[in-house]
Amino acid sequence: MVFRTFPLFVRNRGPDELWRKRRILKLSAHFHGRSRNCYSIAVRAVHRALVYATKARALKKEDMRALWDARLTAACEEHKFSYSLMRESLSRCNILLNRKVLTDLAIWEPRSFKSLVKLAWSRASQDGLNGVKELGEEPSGVITRGMIK
Amino acid sequence: MSNNNLFLPVGFPRAPLANGVGRWICQLQRLTFKFCKNYPSSRGMREFLEFELLDFTKKNPGIVVYVKPRRHRAPNLTAEYLNGEKQIVDCRNFSYEEVKKWVSLLRSQSGRGTVRLLKMWHTDHPSIQGPWSPFVNRDPKLNWVEFPNEDLSQPIYIEKSATEKLIEIFEEQQRIERQPKQE
Repeated sequence: MVFRTFPLFVRNRGPDELWRKRRILKLSAHFHGRSRNCYSIAVRAVHRALVYATKARALKKEDMRALWDARLTAACEEHKFSYSLMRESLSRCNILLNRKVLTDLAIWEPRSFKSLVKLAWSRASQDGLNGVKELGEEPSGVITRGMIK
Repeated sequence: MSNNNLFLPVGFPRAPLANGVGRWICQLQRLTFKFCKNYPSSRGMREFLEFELLDFTKKNPGIVVYVKPRRHRAPNLTAEYLNGEKQIVDCRNFSYEEVKKWVSLLRSQSGRGTVRLLKMWHTDHPSIQGPWSPFVNRDPKLNWVEFPNEDLSQPIYIEKSATEKLIEIFEEQQRIERQPKQE
């Protein structure tokens, strides 16, 4: 029984309450405990979650970059070369491949990646970069005819 | 909280059932034009219906077109696809060109709906040279090795001891001293 007395009207904040709350509870459907069902608690949790999602967009880029760096270091070490030397040499050869593409090559086209490492090594030895000599003799098979400048 | 299924569903670019690889089948089943004969917001749609509709229907005999003149309603394009998806485009105050573009978009869409693409490409053959495995860059002689093997059990890198380094430095010094001095 709904009593249409004055006190009850005070609590009537409008017809849209259901939709306002549903908008929030839809986003909290996978939360733990009361945060998924009780509106007052869910609102706080949802707002925090949205803030985290916003902040994470920049973090995701950082994480991916760190992952690519780790993978490329491992791939270069496999060929007994150094990642930093490879980056420097490739940029000197004007091969402007970014970390993402290099990682994809290292995973899906290992032979192409190996040839890139060889090229980088030749360029590094040619330019006399710091640390090339310690790595040993450069791999054979890079035919430059003096053209890599 | 992940962005995934809450605001926009997520997926990769796909041609469902490889539509277009062999024969292309238009996924649009039904197109409904709802407009008002009088109100100015339907003007673009009225112009489209007057000039372009018959050409469109002749070019696309597989699409069923319904025209719904409804008084005092905002104009509307409803597209229904073969997989049951429905898309409604509100055409209020659209120009004739805009309606035309939307119609051509709806015709060329698959019924998949709007999806947040995780990658902007798709390939069934990501690798031509064969994907990397730990054995790709290793010597194939390892296939014939019998274990236990003494050579392979050695550590990969043994650091030089201090004594060895001193001996090297000493021998280098001796070598320099023995060189004939140039006057």
